[in-house]
Amino acid sequence: MTLVWRFLPLTLVMVVLIGLPPLLDVGLQNVMVNVLIAALFATAFNLLIGQGGMLSFGHAAFYGVGAFAVMHLLVAIERGGLDFPTPLLPLAGAVAGMVVGLFTGYFATIRSGVYFALVTLALAEMLHALAPHWEGLFGGEAGISSMRMPWGGINFGQVIEVYYLTLAWVVIAFGLLYAYTRTPMGRLTLALRDNEERLRFMGYNVHATKVVVFTLSATFAGLAGGLLAFSNEQANYQLFEVHISAQVLLHTFVGGSTVFFGPAIGAVIFTIFAHVIGDITRSWMLYQGVIFILVVLFVPHGIGGVLTEHLRLRTHIPWRRIGRPYAIAATAALLITAASVMIIEFLEALFSPRYFAARRQVDMGFPPFERFGYVWEPFSVLTWLLPLVLGIVGLFLLLRVRHQVAELWSEARESAAAQGRPAP
Amino acid sequence: MSSETVLELRGLEKSFGAARIIRGVDLSVRRGERHAVIGPNGAGKSTLFNLVSGLFAPNAGSILLDGREIAGRSAHRINRMGLSRSFQITNIYHRMTVFENLRIGTMARHGIRFSLLRPVSSLTRINSETDALLERIRLTGRRDVPAGELTYSEQRALEIGMTLATGPEVILLDEPTAGMSKDETAYVIDLIREVTVDKTLLVVEHDMSVVFGLCDRISVLVYGDLLATGTPDEIRNNAAVQEAYLGEEAASS
Repeated sequence: MTLVWRFLPLTLVMVVLIGLPPLLDVGLQNVMVNVLIAALFATAFNLLIGQGGMLSFGHAAFYGVGAFAVMHLLVAIERGGLDFPTPLLPLAGAVAGMVVGLFTGYFATIRSGVYFALVTLALAEMLHALAPHWEGLFGGEAGISSMRMPWGGINFGQVIEVYYLTLAWVVIAFGLLYAYTRTPMGRLTLALRDNEERLRFMGYNVHATKVVVFTLSATFAGLAGGLLAFSNEQANYQLFEVHISAQVLLHTFVGGSTVFFGPAIGAVIFTIFAHVIGDITRSWMLYQGVIFILVVLFVPHGIGGVLTEHLRLRTHIPWRRIGRPYAIAATAALLITAASVMIIEFLEALFSPRYFAARRQVDMGFPPFERFGYVWEPFSVLTWLLPLVLGIVGLFLLLRVRHQVAELWSEARESAAAQGRPAP
Repeated sequence: MSSETVLELRGLEKSFGAARIIRGVDLSVRRGERHAVIGPNGAGKSTLFNLVSGLFAPNAGSILLDGREIAGRSAHRINRMGLSRSFQITNIYHRMTVFENLRIGTMARHGIRFSLLRPVSSLTRINSETDALLERIRLTGRRDVPAGELTYSEQRALEIGMTLATGPEVILLDEPTAGMSKDETAYVIDLIREVTVDKTLLVVEHDMSVVFGLCDRISVLVYGDLLATGTPDEIRNNAAVQEAYLGEEAASS
């Protein structure tokens, strides 16, 4: 039973990852490649924060270094005629991440907490500032571009070929990262997160432990960057942007840093979200930020945490009784989301340059605007009343079922705890 | 009990700024004895422990463990040389299970640290030794509970277990019964007596009945100076100690 629970979801995911892409168009295949890379990057990042308890604000450094390493190798193959097996190219990213990670990790991990975070931030910012001016290493502002060469009868010209190679590397990397959690070193990493002082007094060299964890995390981040370069056939200094470091942090926390697959879940959702929503609205960064804040405030263990908690207590949760409140809560969430989206989009429309242009045509009056396929009057009560009512109804429903859900959950926890307790 | 010295402090001094906390302490701990350090609040007992266990380096003097200088060495090296300490304020891995808390120590004892090539579940010796230790500290029933969810006295027992897990010859316990009820204290003292057989114990303790009942020798520390060292009877009858610290409390116990 437990085996089924453990392997069924993973098998389903693998079936989708292998079977789905040939049915998609090239654009979506590309999205899938990016999804895989983001998932790996977030999981590598989480080795540091979720398992090792070290919050880095500069993981873009290793991601970018990995990408540039692969680009240099690509250039050497294309122009210099170097004979290197194309499928192994992304490894260059891992090696570069490892080397830079070892060197910088040695210094960054001398300090903990905020100081550690600041050192990592400074590192990525330094590379970001340096790269546009360093023609030889980073290709200046334009960056480096090159082409993948055919190898072993495979062209590597099509996205689907890149996809399957990426998938292979990502699966290997996930396998290794998961196996890591099972090794003595993996357990040591958790102890480091929980209490580094005690570790010191139990005979462990804490600094060395941190350097190892940091280096491994940087290695896999480098591999992710390498895969990105392999897919894009180009890399430039923007890979070092603080935005990249923030993105991976957001994926990790929304997905849930306490669960192995949590960050990957966050990365998958946000990458797809960015692709789908990014085309529809200009405010998607705002939505992303709002989701992040809500998750940190109300679901600190993230999506992965919620899922595993449901799995853990699956035999104790009164599924029948909890069904109705869950449905109401979902409806409420939908209503609140609809209300928020309407208000944000209305405001976005009203403050857009386009609307300003429209106003000038009517002598700075306030003409109606179009959103969601309808025309809205800016000063009509109805325009604002609709989202307001939706939001209030949603909020009301949510507050009403909140206690029911909480009660049923405490029952489930109580019953689980009673079972775990030794007989008196 | 042999009278061979296993831990020796010579002229140990420690200052924080202008404050001289430890003012030239000489102390010999014999192999296999249970030795208590007592003294009023602020006497420097915790600082003494922190010096010996490697949290701080002393300003002067030396600390010899089995004849080897350990003053100023890093905490993990001192631990590897066979000296392990517990903490006054419980210092555990909260989110890991009780078993895993102990296993971190068992791993260290066998020198398994940065091992990446096999799953920890396959290390049968490590796991069975950890289970045996779990049994000794009587927490087998709580094996897979996150350590943060244990009751206070269970956490104190785990604290002692973690101190033992690395296989030390010399054990430093910093107020093992702090904050405990009478029953809990009796329970923990029983536990300490049991698990420190054939080991050397140095303990800081406030509860005088515990100290006199448990220990072979006692050292009295007052404002950074070692006032006296002796058997419980000698200490009880020492006029200077009575005056400085014990008063009527010890005489009646």
